[in-house]
Amino acid sequence: MSASPRKSRKEVVESLHEVAAEMHNRMQRGEPPRMTLPVRSKSNISFDNKLGVFKYGKSKTVRDATKLGSARQLLRTLHITEFIEEMIDGGKSSTLREMYYISEGWGNGKFGSQNESNNLAEDLEIVTKCLREDFRLRPEEDGARIIGNITVEEKNRRGDWMRINCRDDVGDSGYGVPYNVEEEKLRLVDEDIDFIMAIETGGMFDRLIENGFDEESRCALIHLKGQPARSTRRIMRRISDEWKKPVVVFTDCDPWSFRIFASIAYGAIKTAHISEYLATKEATYLGITADDILAYDLPSDDLSKQDTSALEAELSDPRFNTGWWQEQIKLMQEMGKKAEQQSLAKYGLDFVTDTYLPEKLDAIGLGY
Amino acid sequence: MIGVNEAEEISSKQKQISISEFFEKNKHFLGFDTLPRAIITAVKESVDNSLDACEEARILPDIRVEIRRTKGDELELITQDNGPGIPRDAIENVFGKFLLGSRFHAIRQTRGQQGIGITGVVMYSQLTTGSKTHVVSKIRSDSSAVYVDLGVDTKKNKAIKSGEKRDIWIDEKSGEEVSHGLRIKTNMKAKYQRGKKSVFQYLRMTSIVNPHASISLTVFDKEGLIVEEGHWIRTSNKLPRVVEEIKPHPHGIQLGTLQRMLREATDRRMTSFLKHNFSGVSPRAAKEILEMAEVEESRTPKRIKSEEAKEMISAFKTVKLLKPPMDCLSPIEDLLIKKGLSKAIDSRFASTVTRNPSVSEGNPFQIEVGLVFGGDLTADGPIEILRFANRVPLMYQQGGCLLTKALEAVNWKSYGLEQPGGSGIPKGPAAVLVHLASTNVQFTSEAKEAVSYNEEVFDEIRKAMLEVGRGLKNHLKKSSQRQKAKEKFELVNIILPEISKKSSELLGREEPDLAPVITQIMNAVFLEEILSWDKERRLSMCSISIHNYTARARAYTILAKWPESMETSMEFNPRGGRKEARGLWAWRLDTLDPGTSTLLEFGISGLSKGDWNEADIFFRGNGEIIGATKMDESLLEEQRKAEALEAAVEEVRMKGAASIEIASTYDNANRDLQSREEDGMDGNNSDDSPNTDWFGMEGDEQ
Repeated sequence: MSASPRKSRKEVVESLHEVAAEMHNRMQRGEPPRMTLPVRSKSNISFDNKLGVFKYGKSKTVRDATKLGSARQLLRTLHITEFIEEMIDGGKSSTLREMYYISEGWGNGKFGSQNESNNLAEDLEIVTKCLREDFRLRPEEDGARIIGNITVEEKNRRGDWMRINCRDDVGDSGYGVPYNVEEEKLRLVDEDIDFIMAIETGGMFDRLIENGFDEESRCALIHLKGQPARSTRRIMRRISDEWKKPVVVFTDCDPWSFRIFASIAYGAIKTAHISEYLATKEATYLGITADDILAYDLPSDDLSKQDTSALEAELSDPRFNTGWWQEQIKLMQEMGKKAEQQSLAKYGLDFVTDTYLPEKLDAIGLGY
Repeated sequence: MIGVNEAEEISSKQKQISISEFFEKNKHFLGFDTLPRAIITAVKESVDNSLDACEEARILPDIRVEIRRTKGDELELITQDNGPGIPRDAIENVFGKFLLGSRFHAIRQTRGQQGIGITGVVMYSQLTTGSKTHVVSKIRSDSSAVYVDLGVDTKKNKAIKSGEKRDIWIDEKSGEEVSHGLRIKTNMKAKYQRGKKSVFQYLRMTSIVNPHASISLTVFDKEGLIVEEGHWIRTSNKLPRVVEEIKPHPHGIQLGTLQRMLREATDRRMTSFLKHNFSGVSPRAAKEILEMAEVEESRTPKRIKSEEAKEMISAFKTVKLLKPPMDCLSPIEDLLIKKGLSKAIDSRFASTVTRNPSVSEGNPFQIEVGLVFGGDLTADGPIEILRFANRVPLMYQQGGCLLTKALEAVNWKSYGLEQPGGSGIPKGPAAVLVHLASTNVQFTSEAKEAVSYNEEVFDEIRKAMLEVGRGLKNHLKKSSQRQKAKEKFELVNIILPEISKKSSELLGREEPDLAPVITQIMNAVFLEEILSWDKERRLSMCSISIHNYTARARAYTILAKWPESMETSMEFNPRGGRKEARGLWAWRLDTLDPGTSTLLEFGISGLSKGDWNEADIFFRGNGEIIGATKMDESLLEEQRKAEALEAAVEEVRMKGAASIEIASTYDNANRDLQSREEDGMDGNNSDDSPNTDWFGMEGDEQ
């Protein structure tokens, strides 16, 4: 079952026109043009019971042309709209970075930085309820790598469907997840696994492969590459939905890794408008937990100043507002320590696959 | 007991015997203690002499300084001026004697007061290299120049002349005959250094306070390559005012001086002695002094005993005396400070103040302060402080100097400069010039590099700093207002029409009428003034545009401050209007309908390009105008009163009547206004200089 809310080209253009119309209507009434957006901060995300993920709340912010900065934003938004329409008409797509450079020719509508163009593209997604893919915009960031006994079909450049087994048809770097993992581009065909494990660092991903962990424990391994890209989160969500496989997340033990998990399981603050398509609410945090540092007596580092304030911020982040997370965060604050995944090597290269992971998986009922 | 005369003889003998020893021992005070400093001192002595000589002879100075490294730690220094030259017979005296005493009796402001004189350079050259100093001097009335080599007989305190000849002097650079001037070439042990304490910096500072001088510097290395160069051009053809010599004021007299004056007096009676040898002593005051000191009026000054002289000194302090005359001072004047600063420092804004002269212990003094901000000045680090005493740069001992301390005592934060810790030298892209002009500059030591503490001087500097500070604050406030206005204009004139066009295109609709949208966005009245220079008409133009971006019609009177003076006039003024007060013109505007704008232009003659670069615009009417300040009527009223009083004083003076009483009333009136400043209120400074800002003050409080 696909959760994709795909709109037709016409619908996309119409939604974009609504944005322009809001501005135009206001001007016709003699008022400064404006755009209404949800507030995009942690203060305005809340748990959506129906969807089981965190979504933007009701707080709205108005971007109107009473200040020079906001007026420029509105003008840029109109330029993006025009650009997207042109791409839809011409059957093209572009990267966000390309759009940033194209904006050089937009005169006063030119972007100040790439970050600005990314944010504006997201703003448009939010107000039009379209996806970036509908806008023909794709990110620079690469998607994840997958290794495990699953089979997918990907539509290649020639428009042919290619069948790929992510264990047998790939090299050591695994199957590279494309930026678009929607039905029109990627089909999930077959699997012979018990669960999916998402791994934060490349070092640990390679360690598990070298140790043959995917076959031994009958799982697919996904390398997140830090904060996971949209497509990474989306494909995990699809595997979870379509094959009903549990997702476990294995990261470092530090405040930033907690945020990685939160964005997988509950949705990221920046993309809360599409949490229901990206978040895998069934995902479980496997480790490394603050408890593990003590239980396994892992080598640890002192928390930096930034770490400390990040932890503090997480205490008031609605996504971490559960007894278990509050406990973990507070324990970490007490210890003043953090630990990396690879600190498990203290007990040898095989410790993680022979002892740590089996014990942790056993505890959540995924023992093998 | 040794008599006074005998003692003097002994001391004079001692002086002669030990003069070279004295030099050796006091190198530090004389400015020859280190090799880098020796060259600075030599340049300074020579350039100061040139400037003084040109000023006396009313010549606009052209001064050339060349420094050449000859070997190791030896430099050759050549200085040349276009001054009056020195007559042949006076050369020995000028170059061979310590002239410490030559200006002793004359009380007026000179540069030369501060150094040991050019003799020190001749002596230093002789002591360190054994060589002679070569002098070429040409006076206008002679047909040829005198060429002479000079040394110093340190025992006799006398110059030794040799190789004297007369010849036509052809200038090396221009190839033309020199009609008058002086050229000195000397060798000395010294080292050329760059940086904050360098010949370059000394000349740069000198040029700031001497905008009437043209100064150039070329420094060569051993191979004859130029390693440093500076050329500071003349920015004003106005020579400093001729200063009058004045007699000492009793408040500044010490017992020893009084005794000497009594001894040397030719007057027969004490009353005439007091009247003729001092300033500020009226016949009535002379009588009172003598009465209080119990000295008979008819006594002969020579016969006055030491105890009686002491009594007189204390009577000086009690009897009410007039102030000394102030024309012995030569301020640079604020407009010229501005010019001087702007030629040396590239900045966005300059605020300058010349305070009225004041008196401390019988010595007239005057404070001038200039502040420049922005432009090329570096924003991090402390501001540059340029200290001057009687137009001479002070380069050493900045921290121990009164001029610095007074600056540090100002709370610069409230004027828009950073000041970590709330006191001390502020930080930011600014430079501050402080000039103390005085007949008697008191230094902390013989080195004459730091001015010693004096409450009156300190107070005056502080007040001057507050004035320029307010100027800066106004400027910063204005800049930020201007920035905001600029953004709004960009918004409604550029961005908004594009939004309208683009959205209409996308939707295939008609473009909306933007006028009501613009009114909504701006919702204010904007005023923008542009100052420019009309080359053809030689007018300083000011054009003020006013846009009413509100939904209501507005009526205003616009007032502009302009540099009114004897030399300037409101030459171009098609809108008419009327004078509100000195330096303040007002125009009543027609009603300005919503969405309309109007232009108000005027031009001032009598200024040169760049003289006027910051205008203050005020308004009368309802609401606010972005870019102008609401007129404070009570302050205006005060200025009008002060002006009326001043006019009355002037009238009495013209009649030649006893002006004393009224003058003091006027002084008091002034003081009252000034004391308001000290109370932290916005006071009037009745200075008639065009650059003092006090109209805009009420804006600060908002």
